[in-house]
Amino acid sequence: MADSISLSSNSPIDYAEVLERIGGDISFLEDLLKIYFSEYEEKRIQLEKALAGNDFLTIQELGHSLKGSSANLSLIFLQKTALALETAGKELKEEAVRLALTTMDAEIIRLKKFLEDHPLS
Amino acid sequence: MKVLIAEDDLISLRILDKNLNDWGYEVMIARSGGEAWEHLRDADVRLAILDWMMPGMNGIELCQKIRRRRKSRYTYIILLSAKDRKQDIILGLSSGADDYMTKPVNFLELKARLQTGRRIVDLEDKLLVIQNQLKDMASRDSLTKIWNRTETLRFLREEIERGAREGKSTGLIMLDIDYFKKINDLYGHDAGDKAILFVVSRLKKKIRKSDKIGRYGGDEFIVILPRCGPDEIIKIGERLRSAVGNRGITTNVDRIPLSISVGCAVTDSSNPMTAENLIKQSDEALREAKNRGRNCVYLKETSHPDIKRRANG
Repeated sequence: MADSISLSSNSPIDYAEVLERIGGDISFLEDLLKIYFSEYEEKRIQLEKALAGNDFLTIQELGHSLKGSSANLSLIFLQKTALALETAGKELKEEAVRLALTTMDAEIIRLKKFLEDHPLS
Repeated sequence: MKVLIAEDDLISLRILDKNLNDWGYEVMIARSGGEAWEHLRDADVRLAILDWMMPGMNGIELCQKIRRRRKSRYTYIILLSAKDRKQDIILGLSSGADDYMTKPVNFLELKARLQTGRRIVDLEDKLLVIQNQLKDMASRDSLTKIWNRTETLRFLREEIERGAREGKSTGLIMLDIDYFKKINDLYGHDAGDKAILFVVSRLKKKIRKSDKIGRYGGDEFIVILPRCGPDEIIKIGERLRSAVGNRGITTNVDRIPLSISVGCAVTDSSNPMTAENLIKQSDEALREAKNRGRNCVYLKETSHPDIKRRANG
């Protein structure tokens, strides 16, 4: 249960913060997380296409968008990685983009595992 | 109160929507700047939360566009952005936003800031009501509450122009209370005021919805009659005369019978006429009604074809 979670500095989500933001509505948070994962999948495909086409502006914009969504859900590490992606896009650094994407994928897996291990309801 | 949220990020949008609904606002949603602009046609949207980064028109451009509107009530704008540098905040506020919040939004803070916006919008509404009341007071005669001379002349100029455009005659009646000076001299100004109020109340009941009545000065009144030719103005003039005639007011000492003299004039669509000319003609018609013994209606002869026909007939 979420109540029993001891939030370490390594937690992928800051439950207390996000629940405060949405009035403690756990089922609403579950809905938002579903939207987040679905949007991540869509944006991941767009990012791959943009990378193949050296479209760094799109990479920057998608990084910005993911940064915002992650921040709203208090996904601290994903927010930081999305910022790294946005910056890499802005600076036209292909290698940095690839690194950020790999890191984000890993963070998504870690978040899903965390949510399975610590279900909200 | 209606609040517009313009935000392309679905999660941010859902969180804003939920909170604002919980706080009792009626929420409208837009996913792009263009869609937001469409929603802003609704005059009841007085608060807007706009994201800076949006597809198409961004939040900055939208703010500028909102502020360029002329005839709209004020929209209080809170601009949201992840950009938190001083120059970004300055740019955001300079574009016309009233407030600026960095994302992710602290919702207690947003709630308080929306209340600030609501206070400002309410204040503007109150000011507009007072402004309209003052405008109305400045347009009306203080005793009778009908239009004052300045406003009446403005209406008359507009009506003559419209009549000329539409090829229709405009009628003007100038009337006054018979022996008004005597009433004032014999019974005092209170009785004079009472007589004026009585006459106005009678006249107001007998004019058409499209007509406008104003106080020209003293005991003289003007009635503007859109789309009105010679035959109709005579009928209306007679209706006004008989509405007052044979009635009167009662003072402490006496009953004062009242009557009015009515001068009529109409524009001729084939021969454009100024408001001043029309007033002059109706004034001359009023003098003629006086000369003819008062308590009567007189139409000023003009080049109007209907009047000519009647004269020939």
